[in-house]
Amino acid sequence: MSAVLLEIAGLVAGYGEAPVLSDVGLRVDRGEIVTLVGSNGAGKTTLLRAISRTVNAAGTLRFDGHDLSHLTPERVFDLGLVQVPEGRQLFDRMSVEDNLRMGAYRRRDRQGVAQSFDYVYRLFPRLKERRRQIAGSMSGGEQQMCAIGRALMAAPKLLVVDEMSLGLAPVVVDQLLAVLSEVRSQGVTVLLVEQDVFAAFEIADRGYVMETGRIIREGAVAELAEDAEVRRAYLGV
Amino acid sequence: MELFSQIIVNGILLGGLYGLMALGMGLVWGVLNIVNLAHGALIMFGAYALYYLFSGLGLDPFVGLPLAMLILFCFGYLLQRGLLNLIVRSALLNTLLITFGLDAVFAHVAQLAFSADFRTINPTYAGNNFQFFGLTIPLARLAAFGVALLLAVLLWLFLGHTRTGRAIRATAQNLTAARLYGVNPRAMYALTFGIGAALAGAAGGLYGIVSQFTPYIGASLTAKSFVIAILGGLDKPLGVIGGGLVLGVAEALTALYLGPTYTDVISFGLLVLILVSRPASVFERA
Repeated sequence: MSAVLLEIAGLVAGYGEAPVLSDVGLRVDRGEIVTLVGSNGAGKTTLLRAISRTVNAAGTLRFDGHDLSHLTPERVFDLGLVQVPEGRQLFDRMSVEDNLRMGAYRRRDRQGVAQSFDYVYRLFPRLKERRRQIAGSMSGGEQQMCAIGRALMAAPKLLVVDEMSLGLAPVVVDQLLAVLSEVRSQGVTVLLVEQDVFAAFEIADRGYVMETGRIIREGAVAELAEDAEVRRAYLGV
Repeated sequence: MELFSQIIVNGILLGGLYGLMALGMGLVWGVLNIVNLAHGALIMFGAYALYYLFSGLGLDPFVGLPLAMLILFCFGYLLQRGLLNLIVRSALLNTLLITFGLDAVFAHVAQLAFSADFRTINPTYAGNNFQFFGLTIPLARLAAFGVALLLAVLLWLFLGHTRTGRAIRATAQNLTAARLYGVNPRAMYALTFGIGAALAGAAGGLYGIVSQFTPYIGASLTAKSFVIAILGGLDKPLGVIGGGLVLGVAEALTALYLGPTYTDVISFGLLVLILVSRPASVFERA
């Protein structure tokens, strides 16, 4: 088993005429937390869509030994590449428990699903307390917990978290980051896509900085945090 | 007082059937966001399906009913797969136009195939009544009411407590997330429309047992179903049955106090009121 879980090279993708992404390369190793940072409109979401095969892309796209270029979004999901989408996208009028069940929609192993339920409820005791509550009626932080829990119910190999911190209080963001570290220690690899560079650098091992459709910096977060350009553009110092 | 109670009972029994008529329309509306103007025509097909199962094959209507539902399910499923899936996410006007067209086509095909004669499904026990605390209960209507209630409860259990039912609700509530978690929306749409048609088929069969029908009953039943589905809350099956009961009782009281010719004033009056007062909430859902 190769150490590389996700490998992207020479990726070009976009909508219609003008490509949004040009020659993007990115690698995520098993057991890592990698962050992809960049401002609004840098092309992060397009990159995620290319990975999940919901937008056409040319270039190398490999996940867990499989070439993704010709797979349907469902097949990519079945391989264990699972997203926590931006804006949470919960099933608002369903209970927390039903939302979690929907995460395991494609899974047929009842025992495994039951274990995932236990696991998610241990990570988020709040969700267990509120399992009968309608998801849309909870606070933003609780909804984000529910969205992460739902993704974990799919038994992901790679958990892709898109703009998790958006609109949440810093203390809540810290809690959620701690949970992601915990998830990683259980063997789930994490790709954290963030505008909030401070938050992302707290837990990530390595980072990529994206600007206008290109990767402009990459490296260990400790180095990136020292990089003059990154500091100027994203850390405001 | 006795007359009043009798009228209320009649209204409730009729209202259950009304609720069942609206159940399929509300489900399709809530999940697919298609206001199916051919829903009444599907009810009409259900009545003819059961009529021929009864008069042609000699099946008891209540035995033939599941078969009529199955026929309508297949018809609805194929209709969605083959045609309506092409327009399911297009503008509301497109779905209104195409289902309006289907309604006209269905009614005329039915007239060619089945003739415009009045029909009724008339088993030997059709006229049987029994007395209950001084009230006369028509057996066939009571049975139709029971079936309507049973189907509403089954639909409620299906949507709330099965894997596929959850996937249907998920598709209705958040298409993006449903796809992200491996639900195939087009399969869910076809299944939902099939179930909606099957429920219309059941309503049509029961309608044929308690009343006369022709190929042209569809339009007015579509309008009634529309009103009830809004009253009841679209994809809330028990709410829709409640909406049916309200309309059934209101019509029965109208018939008593104003005369039977005025019963349609209630449903169509409500229709006009709803369209005038809250068109946005009706059409800009989802």
